[in-house]
Amino acid sequence: MEEIKLSEYVLELKGITKIFPGVKALNNVQFQLKPGEVHALMGENGAGKSTFIKVITGVHKAEEGEMYLFGKKVDFKGPRDAQQAGIAAVYQHPTSYPDLTVTENIFMNHEIKKRGIIQWKQMNEEAQGYLDELDADFKSTAEMGALSVAQQQMVEIAKAVSTRARIIILDEPTAALTANESQKLYKIVDKLKESGVSIIFISHRFEDMYRLASRVTVFRDSQYIGTYDVNGITNADLIKAMVGREINDLFPKPEVKPGEEMLRVENFSRVGYYKNVNFHVRAGEIVGLTGLVGAGRTEVVESVCGITRQSEGKVFLEGKEVAIKNPTDAMKNGIILLPEDRQKTGLILSWGLGRNVTLPIVKKLSNNGFTNDKKERELSRKFLEDVDTKAVTIFDPASSLSGGNQQKVVVAKALAQDNMKVIIMDEPTKGVDVGAKAEIYAIMGELAQKGFAIIMISSEMPEILGMSDRIYVMCNGRVTGELSREEATQETILEFAMEKGGKKKREEAAK
Amino acid sequence: MAGKSGRTISATPDKSLKKALLSWEGMLLLLFIAINILCKCISPVYTLTNVLREMPKYLTEIFLLFPMAYILLMGEIDISVGSTVCLAATMACLSSNAGVPFIGVLAVGLLTGTVCGMINGFLATRFRELPTMIITLGTQIVFRGIAEIALGDGGSVSLTNADGFRMIAGKVGPVPYMFFIVILCAVLFTVIAEKRVFGRSLYAIGSNSRTAFYSGVKVNQMLFISYTVLGLLAGVSALFLTSATYGANTTTGKGFEMDAIAMAVFGGISTAGGKGKLVGGIISAFTITCLRVGLGQINMNPQVILIILGALLICAVLLPNISQSISDKKKKASRA
Repeated sequence: MEEIKLSEYVLELKGITKIFPGVKALNNVQFQLKPGEVHALMGENGAGKSTFIKVITGVHKAEEGEMYLFGKKVDFKGPRDAQQAGIAAVYQHPTSYPDLTVTENIFMNHEIKKRGIIQWKQMNEEAQGYLDELDADFKSTAEMGALSVAQQQMVEIAKAVSTRARIIILDEPTAALTANESQKLYKIVDKLKESGVSIIFISHRFEDMYRLASRVTVFRDSQYIGTYDVNGITNADLIKAMVGREINDLFPKPEVKPGEEMLRVENFSRVGYYKNVNFHVRAGEIVGLTGLVGAGRTEVVESVCGITRQSEGKVFLEGKEVAIKNPTDAMKNGIILLPEDRQKTGLILSWGLGRNVTLPIVKKLSNNGFTNDKKERELSRKFLEDVDTKAVTIFDPASSLSGGNQQKVVVAKALAQDNMKVIIMDEPTKGVDVGAKAEIYAIMGELAQKGFAIIMISSEMPEILGMSDRIYVMCNGRVTGELSREEATQETILEFAMEKGGKKKREEAAK
Repeated sequence: MAGKSGRTISATPDKSLKKALLSWEGMLLLLFIAINILCKCISPVYTLTNVLREMPKYLTEIFLLFPMAYILLMGEIDISVGSTVCLAATMACLSSNAGVPFIGVLAVGLLTGTVCGMINGFLATRFRELPTMIITLGTQIVFRGIAEIALGDGGSVSLTNADGFRMIAGKVGPVPYMFFIVILCAVLFTVIAEKRVFGRSLYAIGSNSRTAFYSGVKVNQMLFISYTVLGLLAGVSALFLTSATYGANTTTGKGFEMDAIAMAVFGGISTAGGKGKLVGGIISAFTITCLRVGLGQINMNPQVILIILGALLICAVLLPNISQSISDKKKKASRA
């Protein structure tokens, strides 16, 4: 305990340099963590945040630099050393054992044993104690796999607490959470802070940082840029620190006069997913489709694109009814979907970028069924360059790119379909850093100007408010509100998303 | 569009001879040559004519390799095809003995195989959530069961009139007709896999079937076609097999599915889908065949040959993993 008094910091890193074959992943970076503080770590994808965390947790060993824990110099040989020293990390996608119970997950590798026999009762009770502390709404005997991502994260945090960790690292914890779940996580972080735990918090979301952190450290291109007081820094300054250039207008929404109606969806229903959904989008218009996660937004557009079939309802394209039975039908009609999950449904990660871009049009480019490799290479290169993908060749595997660049490949894949009329983007900036975000918004703006009709599904309020001409809000599988750009505010949207607005409307109608 | 940075991306493919030789297929080709030299050394009667003469015994399995490779490339499997061969051979023999003209007998054999394939295809696409390993394990038992019922108590049937079958077992010089058909299939299936949209779709499904579906690849159609074609070629295999054995019994075609899968895996085609080339499968098929012929000529016990083949297969599967883990270790060492 004496060391804490000696040093102002619980954790201090100086001059850390980490070299991977061919690249400097960290170049002389520094970091200080005060006792009981929540410290945000921000930067674009590939800035070196994850590598840095892995240095702290002993996964990687830095070539140069020193690390002081409670004022004492430490040299971790592996993750176990870091754990024993009181450092725990909670990752974005919990790395748990889904078939085991919560208790087993919490006590994995440090079970309570008496003469080699596991003390189940005591473990269950203790685990329940940790869960109660965190206000968890599930039992310690529940099966891990049956829990939501948010609940699994809670288990991971409980696990960190159970190892008596003094420093907890949260790596993009809110990325997979709904707004409500994020609020709950904030409260947990507050509690941890009160109990004296110091927290390093990685996130792309400014909301998280403002709500939780007192200080923020920014990395860019493997280098330390600076540490700032959260109260003393503006959004613009922070973005500049992260991206290295000024982004004057994050949402370059062009003024486009909407043209003819392109797509209309009437009385769309699918049992158990959504009911009686109506919406339309005009040429040059960006329509936002928002609501809480699980409101049925993705399910509706997947039916529009033929991924699933609606049980009722019609789709009209340029005023004519179209029958869409499978994804091919949708593409033939020029309705293109950019799916939410880039890695599972947007791209083939093991394939090169070029083949990913041309996958939907191989047939169109072919000569009587024989693939035209040369044409494919030229076309894919053109579209990948158009969206400014950071890649060396079109043969680079998609898995080698950062999230933002993967999203650009998905956009290039859509653009390569020359009959495109309606483009549906499902969470286009999820997990994308702020620099790539701005580029994706710019592409959206250009597409709108060219007269494409755009539907953007998003849970991110600033993006919905910043980019949409019109906004539909969904809740529990129904469209509960339609707002113009002028009417829309964070409050009105949330009201409809929580269905308070919807109820109000129905009450008014009843009168 | 954007493209503000003016960044350019290269689109020139890397086609070096060294890379081609260092590939799995290149290694296999070297192994093929090595095996042939080995056989020539240990067996005095290992000549081209003799090899071609003895090949038909083994060629019947190679038919199955081609469509099996397609199914493996899509990340699926079919372990019922040996039973399909048995059922098709049984039906062909029974119809021949019942006095059906030979052209009708051929049709019966091919049709039986095709229908079995279609049943697998239907089940695999209708119940996508079930592993095809389980589905075809079921049909494996069902198809052989039907064949056993048809074969009756004796458990076997012999051709009463083998004239037609003798005809398809004919040869041009020392080369059996079957050899030409196998080569034709090899070329056809390879070109489709490498050069046609169908082939690209196979790899897309095997690499990520969800993305393939979202991108407009007709996943179910591809699966159904491939299973049906495997059934059809099982029919072809059954007819040629009958032309060599003049009959069918309850053990006909037993183990064919595993041989076809082994050839493909040995050829570098991953059972997880999306990886490997048909050329590799074909080279490995002929390597295995040559080894069998050569070892057979020096009267090596067939069981011992099986053990050697099994050991080779395990090495083939392990080799990429071992080399991967060695290079990983090197990387780690250089990092630390």
